[in-house]
Amino acid sequence: MIVTPEFILLSLVVLTALAFDFTNGFHDTANAMATSIATKALSPKAAVTLSAILNLVGAFLSVEVALTVTNAVIRIQNSDGSPRPELIADGGYALLLILMAGLAGAITWNVLTWRLGLPSSSSHALFGGLVGATVASLGWAGVKWIGEGTKLDGVVGKVVLPALISPVVAMVVAMIGTRLVFWITAKLARRYQESGFRWGQVATASLLSLSHGTNDAQKTMGVVTLALIGSGHWTSTTEIPFWVKLACALAIASGTYIGGWRIIRTMGRGLVEVFSPQGMAADSASAAVILTSSQLGFALSTTHVCTGSIIGSGLGRKGATVRWGVAARMGLAWVVTLPLAGLVGAGMWWIAHLIGGIGGGVAIFAIMCAVALYLWWHSKQDPVSHHNVNDEWAESADAPASVSGGTN
Amino acid sequence: MDQVLAALDATWRILLIGILLGAGLPALFAVGVRALAWSGTDGAPTPGVRPPLKARLVAYLCFGVAILAVLLGITYIVLHGFGINVTFNGVIPVFTPKH
Repeated sequence: MIVTPEFILLSLVVLTALAFDFTNGFHDTANAMATSIATKALSPKAAVTLSAILNLVGAFLSVEVALTVTNAVIRIQNSDGSPRPELIADGGYALLLILMAGLAGAITWNVLTWRLGLPSSSSHALFGGLVGATVASLGWAGVKWIGEGTKLDGVVGKVVLPALISPVVAMVVAMIGTRLVFWITAKLARRYQESGFRWGQVATASLLSLSHGTNDAQKTMGVVTLALIGSGHWTSTTEIPFWVKLACALAIASGTYIGGWRIIRTMGRGLVEVFSPQGMAADSASAAVILTSSQLGFALSTTHVCTGSIIGSGLGRKGATVRWGVAARMGLAWVVTLPLAGLVGAGMWWIAHLIGGIGGGVAIFAIMCAVALYLWWHSKQDPVSHHNVNDEWAESADAPASVSGGTN
Repeated sequence: MDQVLAALDATWRILLIGILLGAGLPALFAVGVRALAWSGTDGAPTPGVRPPLKARLVAYLCFGVAILAVLLGITYIVLHGFGINVTFNGVIPVFTPKH
């Protein structure tokens, strides 16, 4: 095999895509498992292990090809999933650079929000990075901003509208569920209430993990396969190579197992005090909303739904206080995820473009690694692990460093 | 504008089914939990004493429906993963391969 510059760039893209899948895993462990860990229905270690296994199984269940994943927001692929011919003229260099810069933007944003302990949407980060890199490379027309007619598509239909709607829907459902559950079990002893609901909670949390594995690992598989087709290493648009599936499944499962403890802590302890009946109501609401939306083709972010549900479960239980300061920080992070991941993606593309050739790809890979390593090193100042993930939430100590100067 | 209307159209369906399944099933589970404590003392089943048959029947029926719903959810995820669309004609599921 001849190692061409394109081959090196392709390898970097695949590596970056798997790294993104890994961040996707640890960013989203909280979605399924935060409430089970907070109510001690599962020990922290057991929760991440269960979630990781189910993500792994889920990733292998996604037999259907998700090759058209980028078509939701940008125009670099034909409708059958094959890349646009003008992008693969130069051994796929143009296409690979867009993917590389987009993924680097998404990873940078994911690691930063993890450092701040904020659950932000990994799919928004991916879409944001790709949109930014595409605007930098092909101009504004390369982005599909809004769908045509009543088919929900583009940045508006697949990202903005679902992000506005889905957390509210989940919140309402969880609020109603929590209210009903506490009303029905009002006369029961608190201790029995807690133990009675644990099994239900674990079952719904497992359902969420499985569904996450099928949905999210698929996205990375699509991106990797697109890169392989673009550089001429794969031709089928109806199948993906087995090693891609295996690698993506392992990446998302190991990410899940590592556990984004900071984010688990914020979601399980930071928003509201969660009790078992409430946790089950929240997880059921999330599962119902996610599966119904997937049936209707409504593209939503698991993160938004699960956070909405947890807040709703707090609104539904009498005597619970929702920490709106924490919720507001999250809301802000959601709003800026797409544009900021986009800015980083665009910046990465420009850096690579100015350096040119293979050096450009290597440079942004190095920048991305440096940022991620710095943030990881920085996080050692206040480590959060399975040992202290459930400690009492102290607003002053737990507020992210960058905004702790505020009043809340 | 069409996009907003399309999103709102999806919203009320998700909300309706969400409330039915997402709030209804935990409520049903709660009925089961409560039933087991019917003859107990201090709002919990008495340890070592089997709850009366009626209570057990109600509880297992509730838990059964909830477990069935979770299994259906898993089936749905698996079918989707294998590229099979599930549509509901009334309440009878219809399976069609995706294209």
